[in-house]
Amino acid sequence: MAMEHLRWRPTVNERDFIESALQSDLRVDGRRSFDFRRLDISFGREDGSSEVQLGETRVMGYVTAQLVPPYRDRDRPNEGTLAIFTEFSPMADPAFEPGRPGESAIELGRVIDRGLRESRAVDMESLCVVAGKYVWSVRVDLHILDNGGNLIDAANIAALAALSTFRRPECTVGGEDGQQVTVHDAEVRDPIPLTIHHLPIAVTFAYFGEGNIVVVDPTYKEEAVMGGRMTATVNSNGDVCAIQKAGGEGVMSSVIMQCLRIASVKAADVTSKIRTAVEKYATEKALKKVKRLPASMSQKTNVSDVTMVDKGDDKLGSQSVETLSDVQQISKDPSVVIEANDHEDAKPMLTESSTEVKTTSSSGAAVESDEAQEIRSPKSLKDAIKPKHKRKKRKDNRS
Amino acid sequence: MESKRPPPSALVDSYVVPGDIILDLSEMTNQTIKIGAGLRQDCDTIQATSAGMLRLSKPNKYWVESSHKSYIPSVEDTVLGVVVDIKPDVGTLVYARVVKANSIMNPELSCMDAMGKSTEFTDLKGGYMFDTSTGLSRMLLSSPTCPVLEALGKKLSFEIAVGMNGRVWVNAPSPSNVILVSNAIIKSESLSAIQQKVMVENLLQRVS
Repeated sequence: MAMEHLRWRPTVNERDFIESALQSDLRVDGRRSFDFRRLDISFGREDGSSEVQLGETRVMGYVTAQLVPPYRDRDRPNEGTLAIFTEFSPMADPAFEPGRPGESAIELGRVIDRGLRESRAVDMESLCVVAGKYVWSVRVDLHILDNGGNLIDAANIAALAALSTFRRPECTVGGEDGQQVTVHDAEVRDPIPLTIHHLPIAVTFAYFGEGNIVVVDPTYKEEAVMGGRMTATVNSNGDVCAIQKAGGEGVMSSVIMQCLRIASVKAADVTSKIRTAVEKYATEKALKKVKRLPASMSQKTNVSDVTMVDKGDDKLGSQSVETLSDVQQISKDPSVVIEANDHEDAKPMLTESSTEVKTTSSSGAAVESDEAQEIRSPKSLKDAIKPKHKRKKRKDNRS
Repeated sequence: MESKRPPPSALVDSYVVPGDIILDLSEMTNQTIKIGAGLRQDCDTIQATSAGMLRLSKPNKYWVESSHKSYIPSVEDTVLGVVVDIKPDVGTLVYARVVKANSIMNPELSCMDAMGKSTEFTDLKGGYMFDTSTGLSRMLLSSPTCPVLEALGKKLSFEIAVGMNGRVWVNAPSPSNVILVSNAIIKSESLSAIQQKVMVENLLQRVS
């Protein structure tokens, strides 16, 4: 509550105007009641990262995965896990406190989590490696970058877009006991995408007046004025995956049914937008790969697979993933080693005395080579200032 | 004293970013130049420290005009303020003048002008207020009238109050006109004069 004063409050003028304009079916940003704002979906350089811009709202999604023992050993030994984490940066809105999630932050995480998990959108069984021993734990991080209203919808789209492009490393089970897990590097075997059955799209409605004025995708200002809010998570098949109506004004059941119909239309729209964005990213990525192939063939990196030894250690999974990155670094080393050798050759020349020794026994040609060396080897400031003829004289004196 | 005028910086009225060298002082002797916001002297050069348009007021005043979302108050600016702690009036919008501003205390506003009369400064009733950047509010206040307001004013009648703090208040008889004017202003920030006129005409056509 300490930061409560930082929450933006509308002025009397804004509140009155937004309400009165809505009475005559007008929204302050010129949209119609059931229009979404402009939606932009872009992706990062790595698989599984997305950035979604919905009007002024910006959310970044980032997906990672780890090999862990199954969360609920007994009842779900052959299912992976999916967890949503949210990060509300104070940069997005001064009312957000760092490290202390507010009510809205928790609600956002839960609504998205419910929409994704309860509807079984991501196939969990395909994330199992060894039943009861190793499963993939998928983690979705949602960073709120700018709060322009309707964070839930934007964050949900960001999560879906990131999950759609995420690829986990392939792993095989082998060894004598059939329990040894080998995690293959991305260079050796192509990483595998998640199995996503459908895209549950969150559509948020804001209610004004006595619940009889409904708008979709409320802005920051509309959220500050609205009487109530409902988020319906619907997929493009028209299945309702989740509904969230937390407090606010009561709404007639007929209005809710109408909202659900609108939501399914909007969900189809958003789904196609996400699909086209993901496809565009996939083709771009594929094209890049084709171009890069000859270079990677000639440089032939020998990446060894990471084999996990069963120690019965709980944290084994996370350790092995860390070693994976070590192996990658080592494999790239050969080129670095060559460079280091070059440096060692050049090193003796760096000392001033050695170059001078060379020039004392000099004919004209040797002086020229000395000059060439000067360009290559860094000199002290003293040399730079001293005029050349003076330096020569000193050398002559010495000899 | 040399009678020759200092040559103005080549970057005047163009976009500069931090680190850009505006002037080389070693080539100018016995001359005085005055530098304002967003510039600093570094040995023999004048460098930009913030991104924005480099401006020159002849003969020798330089400053960088940048656009921000947050406003740093300075005395004698006219701003749009919101009442926060006077009980019955909380949330009222006022058009006021900054009378005290420093980095430690909250700024002080007054609805009296420098002569002690409350002429144009008053609370604003009705209408709609929105936040823009300081750059846009400066553009709206500039004279001659900026192209958006001119184009809008030819077709529509509306009241407008612009604060240096980036807040803009618009009022018109019909709510649809208020929305049109406010959206036209928000969209105009990154447009050139001609683009602004075309945009306003397109908006007006869509409505009528």
